[in-house]
Amino acid sequence: MLVDALKSEAYRVSRNRTAIFCSVVLTPLLFVFGGLAYLLMTKAKGDALAAKANLPPEMGNQPVNLAEAFGFAAGNGANGVLLVFMLLAAAAVYAGDYRWETWRLISARNARPWLILGKIGVMKVLAMIAMLAMLIASFLFFISQAVVAGRPMSFDLSDFNLVEFLLTWLLSYIRIVQYGLIALLAAVVSRSLLAALFVPWALGFAQGLLGGPLLPIIGWAPTDWASQLLLPGLAYDTLKAAVAGDTPAPDGLVVKAITSLVLWCVVPVAASIAWFQRQDLSKE
Amino acid sequence: METVIEIRGLTKTYGTVKALDGLTLSIPRGGVYGILGPNGAGKSTLFRTLLGLIRPTEGEATVMGGRIGDPAATRRMGSMIETPRFPPFMTARQVLVWLGHAHGGVASSDIEAWLKRVGLTEAADRRVRGFSVGMLQRLGVAAALMTKPDLVILDEPTSGMDPPGIQEMRALIRSLADDDGVTVILASHQLQEVERVCDRVAIFNKGKVITEGRVSDLTASGERLRLSVTPLAKAMAVLGEKAALDGDALVAAVPRAEAPAAIRALVEAGVDIEEARWIGADLEDVFMTETGWTGVQGTPAKGTDHAG
Repeated sequence: MLVDALKSEAYRVSRNRTAIFCSVVLTPLLFVFGGLAYLLMTKAKGDALAAKANLPPEMGNQPVNLAEAFGFAAGNGANGVLLVFMLLAAAAVYAGDYRWETWRLISARNARPWLILGKIGVMKVLAMIAMLAMLIASFLFFISQAVVAGRPMSFDLSDFNLVEFLLTWLLSYIRIVQYGLIALLAAVVSRSLLAALFVPWALGFAQGLLGGPLLPIIGWAPTDWASQLLLPGLAYDTLKAAVAGDTPAPDGLVVKAITSLVLWCVVPVAASIAWFQRQDLSKE
Repeated sequence: METVIEIRGLTKTYGTVKALDGLTLSIPRGGVYGILGPNGAGKSTLFRTLLGLIRPTEGEATVMGGRIGDPAATRRMGSMIETPRFPPFMTARQVLVWLGHAHGGVASSDIEAWLKRVGLTEAADRRVRGFSVGMLQRLGVAAALMTKPDLVILDEPTSGMDPPGIQEMRALIRSLADDDGVTVILASHQLQEVERVCDRVAIFNKGKVITEGRVSDLTASGERLRLSVTPLAKAMAVLGEKAALDGDALVAAVPRAEAPAAIRALVEAGVDIEEARWIGADLEDVFMTETGWTGVQGTPAKGTDHAG
């Protein structure tokens, strides 16, 4: 009964203010206030430079197009800060029953695969809410940009590509969910909330290093199967670039990237359910 | 006899330790069934196995007609295994709503009724992180019972409770069996509690059932004859293995039907009998005898005196 698992998990996480704040509220807040601070600092420097260069005032008066917030939010939905803070909610959802020893209360009431899938379902909803919160934060950032710079605002959808926006949004969403699924596997295997938090963080950090400065050192090309399969973040960036169509992707690269993201989603779920099915859910 | 639980050759090992050792047991439907045993006897392991929390190494069991871990069967059970724990950020009421959702929904009126029945109405909106052990026990009982189960497993339900709470819990357990027709399986170290509340008991030791039966039958079978005699050594020699020293007297494990013959044998051997009386076994005596526990400094298990 997946519905029961979803309802109970959703109810519990809705009462967990820390998890909700960290996953849904904190990153957009940081983004808005960090962005505002950045705008104020750059405005001070920009004003000084403009005065020195004696630029005509109309040069800085182009309207800020608020519609660009859509593309900005979709493209930056799976930013590193959001991924890290989402882990706090993922750890609470996926490892909470080990931490609080509450499996004994709920595992007798439902089939084990439904319990895991219920948790994943709730994390998917949280990921979507977090992205919507980032969209709102992006609008606030663009409005702040106009207000701080004293520029007019517009809402011009002439350059807006709905398909590109939806595909980018979907990719960012999948990337957030996929990153959380590593927390699921770590939680089930280790029965530890801390492992659910730090294993994905450490893995993400290592993958970031490998995908960035280390990749040329070890002699892998970003287009290799190995690079794409081992680095879901690289696969995500590959697919985002392909959707944007900035540069044509080499033959087969998109397939490699899609395969990578699918495997990084399916394998942790399948492994977690298989492990969980045979697991003793009691401390002895 | 209709049963709610059938266990055949159940074994659970942890490394080289056998927590359950080929356990075989049938628990009848209805009434209150006590499970007794010293620490490490396998009681909690059995409960965890029946609830599907842990997997048996060998053997099989059916619960409410379903195999171990079958949610269709385990959903008809309520349980509280040792001191329950809950997400610390939730209030008592939220815990029950959450578990109600996990069970497919429980009416809010039922939740309020159970909060009242376990005496947590005033604490219903307090976070459980501040609850005492006794309050957690009460909430655990409400969580186990609010879904109207056919079978309830309660592991040490009164631990941490104050005396009035213990009395209320005893009354609640009896009323579940007598008024609601629920089968209750109760594990407790409070042997008097078990004796007062349970209809049948099984005594566990080292992962096995060592005795099982109606409480009244078990205590009746443990009656012994306490004799103040002179000389003691001669009396001991006459009665042989049936006799044990109890201070300056001896206690003979003889059935009532054989008592006249035993006394006759003592008199014929020249033993003076100053006093003879039956000391009845209570569940504590049965427990100590069956588990081989001899009390402090090797003295025999004490009995409850009554003239006989």
